[in-house]
Amino acid sequence: MSGFDMNNYVDVEPLEIETGLPDEVCPIMYTDEYKQVMSVARRLMQEGEYSERALQLTSKAIALAPAFYTVWNYRYSIVEHLAKESGDVEGYMNKEMDWLDEVTLGNPKNYQIWSYRQALLKIHPAPSVKRELPILQIMIDDDTKNYHVWSYRKWCILFFQDFTNELTYADSLIQRDVYNNSAWTHRMFVMKHTNPSKHEVREEIEYTKKKIEIVPQNVSSWEYLRGLYEVFLDCEYDEETIKFAEKFTDDILKLDITVDKEVSALPNIESSYALEFLADVFAKIPSPENTNNAKKAYTALSLKYDPIRSALWNHKMGQLA
Amino acid sequence: MVGEIRRAKFIGNLLGRRREIVEQVVSEEPYKEDQEDDNDNDNDNDNDVEEIEILMKEQDTETTEARAHVINDCVSLLTAVNEKAELKSDFHRQYLDYAFQIKLPPQMTALDASQPWILYWVLNSLAMLSEDLVSDEMRRRIEEKAFAISPEGGPFGGGIGQLPHLAATYASIEALSSCANSNGSWDKIDKKSIYNWLLSVKQENGGFKTCYSVGEVDTRGVYCALSVASMLNILTDELVENTLQYLINCQNYEGGFGGCPFEDEAHGGYTFCAVASLAIMGALDKINIPKLIDWCATKQYNEEKGFCGRSNKLVDGCYSFWVGGTVAILEAYGYGEYIMNHNEMREYILRCCQDTKRPGLRDKPGKNPDFYHTNYVLAGLSVVEYTFKIDNPKDPFSISAEPRKGVPSSNITAINPVYCLPIDLVKNFANHFK
Ligand SMILES: [Zn+2]
Repeated sequence: MSGFDMNNYVDVEPLEIETGLPDEVCPIMYTDEYKQVMSVARRLMQEGEYSERALQLTSKAIALAPAFYTVWNYRYSIVEHLAKESGDVEGYMNKEMDWLDEVTLGNPKNYQIWSYRQALLKIHPAPSVKRELPILQIMIDDDTKNYHVWSYRKWCILFFQDFTNELTYADSLIQRDVYNNSAWTHRMFVMKHTNPSKHEVREEIEYTKKKIEIVPQNVSSWEYLRGLYEVFLDCEYDEETIKFAEKFTDDILKLDITVDKEVSALPNIESSYALEFLADVFAKIPSPENTNNAKKAYTALSLKYDPIRSALWNHKMGQLA
Repeated sequence: MVGEIRRAKFIGNLLGRRREIVEQVVSEEPYKEDQEDDNDNDNDNDNDVEEIEILMKEQDTETTEARAHVINDCVSLLTAVNEKAELKSDFHRQYLDYAFQIKLPPQMTALDASQPWILYWVLNSLAMLSEDLVSDEMRRRIEEKAFAISPEGGPFGGGIGQLPHLAATYASIEALSSCANSNGSWDKIDKKSIYNWLLSVKQENGGFKTCYSVGEVDTRGVYCALSVASMLNILTDELVENTLQYLINCQNYEGGFGGCPFEDEAHGGYTFCAVASLAIMGALDKINIPKLIDWCATKQYNEEKGFCGRSNKLVDGCYSFWVGGTVAILEAYGYGEYIMNHNEMREYILRCCQDTKRPGLRDKPGKNPDFYHTNYVLAGLSVVEYTFKIDNPKDPFSISAEPRKGVPSSNITAINPVYCLPIDLVKNFANHFK
């Protein structure tokens, strides 16, 4: 942003930003620069000045304190006014988005940026999803589980109603890190909003199983598998999927497992989540055999494979028919 | 040797699930291991980190790498048998007293738009250590700052000359409620203008915007609005129109809640906000409780013992409250005591979130303490050491607490998990506005 110069504001009488209390709790020792910029900003806000110099001042203020939501609000009003005055709202808004991209890159954890971005898109005469995705990609590449960015991405996809790239995009992040729960939940976001056919749901189940094969002990992929059955298939688990889960539990449900079982007598298994998945499936389809299997699975989880949750497993056992 | 205990603990926890990998480690590097045990030098720690990384590795990714380091740090603290797991109350008190003596350095300017939070975190942390620690002078100074920020008595902004904001208003009301109406400060709160402002940030979809006109709309905003409204007795049907549906839509397939009602990722902070809001509305029965319980339970790690805030993320002391507080609310409303492992959680808090050198509580080993974590880690300890019930499910202020059987006591104050404030204080405040 060109030409920020405090000399452009000499006519503005600063408005105090300090309380002046003699024994204030935790006052912040502002730098002189901060005090100068913010106290002028306060005055301009109070006067309702919507000018190029006011815009420049907000850039400076945001650089100094990106979480200062009041200045973001002020900037929004300035942009609304100046865009109209410029006679080229679209061009003006694009310029503003360029500026915002730069600020965004420097402040990945900031809250305000994303709501400001949403507000801009809503008044942009020709918003474009193509304009949005590259910056989001950079941000996520840099911090693959950044909550704000993923949430904004979802908002954006809904705003533009364009889901075309989303499964592929989430897959690229799952390939990079199969434990990335944000990427897994993004897939469910897409599935839920695109009304998938039975066939597509099946494909998604196969996709998930492949990822589980790579890393069996992964809460994200198992939760997702469970989610697909719960959301789209009314919990109708098929034999194939049950067999699939059993692969990771070393057939332990064939053993006799009771609470007094020696922990050391239990074999090693590849995935406690597979066992939990099976327990849940068996608990949902009541039959004497299933109930017995669920009981064994919960006992084994409690004894050895997931002991921190033993109270939960015992509770679930108590609820079995 | 510590290294040995650490390793044994690891294998105990991990072996069952990672057989092949462990065998691989043992067969590939048996000698290196022996050398390490004999080697009492400074590099010991680094070697341990490497070793554990291999144990963790099913596929080496950013997630496993980051977690391996944290597990390493935590397990060595958790297994330090000569250290007692006890709350260093006097030590932490120094840190909080300090808040009344210092000016925050310029690097803390990031907090300029969140000043009421500091008031709440500091005062509430002191009150949790012991309500006697809060002096009249402290109350006066907190009140003066709150009313310097908003001389009209609300709604409150982050500092003087700043726009009203939901989070700042929530934090100010929480801080003022802890001031126990000294100097008649409760009567200076302008209920009516707070109510009108809340209506002005209310969204059609049932959410609340943190600030007019540009602000976030998420479950955090709902919680801030509903807490304040219920405490000030201005919670009307009009204010919560569509809010129940909004919250219901924030529960995702994982069972926890996201920030926004479109299948956002489940997150400890947003889950607390949604569940506390539902409790305030008396509508907990409208969501999928079993899924929520499972989600909360799976946030606790076998190795680190504490909670993470999202699946496959790192343990963090503040989730002792965000997730632990959610669990406490569920417990108060009769959904059971089995959702978390209280003693293990307590171990994480006392062994991993305190440091011998610096007062104050922290996120995890290797991080510096701060006021935010001091407040929420202590609140986490409170929900671990007490058990909760409610007399009238329509009245969240009727939650009461008793020491939890089988869990040692740190003499911490019992909090109302819905408001994260001492039970009696928040009840008195609400009664004042009835
Ligand atoms: Zn934290």
